[in-house]
Amino acid sequence: MNRLDYLVLIATILAIPIYGLWRTRGSASLGEYLKGDASIQWGTIGLSVLATQAGPITFLSMPGQAYESGIGFIQNYFGQPLALIVVCAVFVPIYQRLKVYTAYQYLGERFDRKTQLLGAFLFLVQRGIAAGITIYAPAIILSALVGWRLNLTIWLAGGLVIIYTVVGGTKIVSITQRYQMVVILIGMAIAFAVAVYRLSPDLSFGSTLSVAGKMGKLEAVDFSVDPHKRYTFWSGLIGGFFLALSYFGADQSQVQRYLAGGSLKESRLGLLFNAAVKVPMQFFILLLGAIVFMFYQFEKPPVYFNQPAYQRAMESGYAPQLAALQTQFDDVFTQKRAAIRAVSSASSNGSSNERDVAMTKVRELEGQARELRNQTKTILQQAGADPKSKESDYVFITFILQQMPHGLVGLLIAVILCATMSAMAATLNALGSTTAIDFYRPLIRPNASDHHYVVAAKALTAAWGLIAIGVASFASLVENLIEAGNILGSVFYGSILGLFLAAFFIRRVTGSAAFFAALLAQMLVFVLFATTNIGYLWYNFIGCAAVLIVAPVLQQTIFRGTEAHAAG
Amino acid sequence: MNVGDGKPDARSWRKAYGLALSLFTVEVVLLYLFTLRFS
Repeated sequence: MNRLDYLVLIATILAIPIYGLWRTRGSASLGEYLKGDASIQWGTIGLSVLATQAGPITFLSMPGQAYESGIGFIQNYFGQPLALIVVCAVFVPIYQRLKVYTAYQYLGERFDRKTQLLGAFLFLVQRGIAAGITIYAPAIILSALVGWRLNLTIWLAGGLVIIYTVVGGTKIVSITQRYQMVVILIGMAIAFAVAVYRLSPDLSFGSTLSVAGKMGKLEAVDFSVDPHKRYTFWSGLIGGFFLALSYFGADQSQVQRYLAGGSLKESRLGLLFNAAVKVPMQFFILLLGAIVFMFYQFEKPPVYFNQPAYQRAMESGYAPQLAALQTQFDDVFTQKRAAIRAVSSASSNGSSNERDVAMTKVRELEGQARELRNQTKTILQQAGADPKSKESDYVFITFILQQMPHGLVGLLIAVILCATMSAMAATLNALGSTTAIDFYRPLIRPNASDHHYVVAAKALTAAWGLIAIGVASFASLVENLIEAGNILGSVFYGSILGLFLAAFFIRRVTGSAAFFAALLAQMLVFVLFATTNIGYLWYNFIGCAAVLIVAPVLQQTIFRGTEAHAAG
Repeated sequence: MNVGDGKPDARSWRKAYGLALSLFTVEVVLLYLFTLRFS
């Protein structure tokens, strides 16, 4: 990075919060602080919801995911449009009608105080830890590759987010997310164009995609019912539906985004905007990863993208073994590049036989290259230089730093930091609001003024920000951070969603039955998590189903005779 | 569930949901055609 990059980076990440602070200057009522004001329209809500979900992982990890395993991950988003329609039709009208500040207030209205507190508590535990991971994951990668100090990166990015989120509340989060998302979309579109432009002139764009497809990188849809396959149409549609329903319907960091709208119409349009654009957006981000993969078929990639870890191993006495693997890797790369050129010329000559022979050779060499990378990783582990994040997370950032022109490097680092800041702001805003409204107001100061609660919400938001930074400072103790974030969500989301669905659809269930059913469901998920190795996406379904089955049973047995007082 | 929505309003929202669902179907079909073309 040079001065121009730093100028673009600093200007981008500072200008948006400063503008947001100017737009939200002056004091706000409790309603304005927690829910924004009526001027927030569906476009802002839509971008805000999109930015909250995306986070830095989307832009750092997704291209690397496609580089490694192809674009099949897109199927994980197939349940989302359906879930968003259900949220629009069922969840949003109830939240808007009851004029709640948090989703868990609805549980209090429909069931009782203890169920409200349980839902809010599960959310706080899960999101409090996730907020730390949100800031740690990009910080560890940027500090490794750009050379920034890890704790300084965490404190600077985290500190800036805390300041503007505490001062401006929900409105500033929505406003800043809109512009941060615009920067992110422009940055990713430019990165896509540059990646296509930098592809080898030896192959046309169509031929490049054909070869990528034959190397297994472009299988977007797989209708297989094989349960061992990780990404299929069916697992994405069903598992993804439950995950997205929990996330958009019962996670305050999202609920607060769409309740920021002035009306039911604005909230719904913002969510339907997401239903329409999410799958295409993820497709282009994954396709960018496949294009980066094809770029590195002609331009020699590092044998291991996490170069700082590689260098540490080199300096720990493993240089001879790594040099031997590097020589083999270089040889395989040269042969593979020649074989891909042979595929291309056979295709233009119309010789399908020659093309198939060359393609078989390409696949064989790709297998060898993968094996050499695995051997390199094993040596890194032996050297004690094993990194805490996946190697594929370093692919896209390496491409940015090594292949993009100056200025654009600064913009794309700004994209990653904007994504971090927007996701963290939404999370802190939700954590502060939930603690103030679901715990502080009813349990500690029930009859204080609105101004008092605004001050309390600000203090609690700041406190959660400091907790998130604290979690980030100790996050290096956790192996594979990104996976940890996903698992954490799936472990808690199921029982929270179960509570909401029981509230909406099982009218005879009362608070005590729902409360104990959710506790039992959560314990079941903990036991399964500790004793089995089932795919974590299934915890969403299991936790939710357990609440929906156990709650009516408890109602008909232990809590028989207690009256239901449905608010939905 | 949608208390407060008038009937004409509810009808137009159903159309909006139908449109979102149709758009999603088109997206999946296009992705499937992309898969067939390049795999």
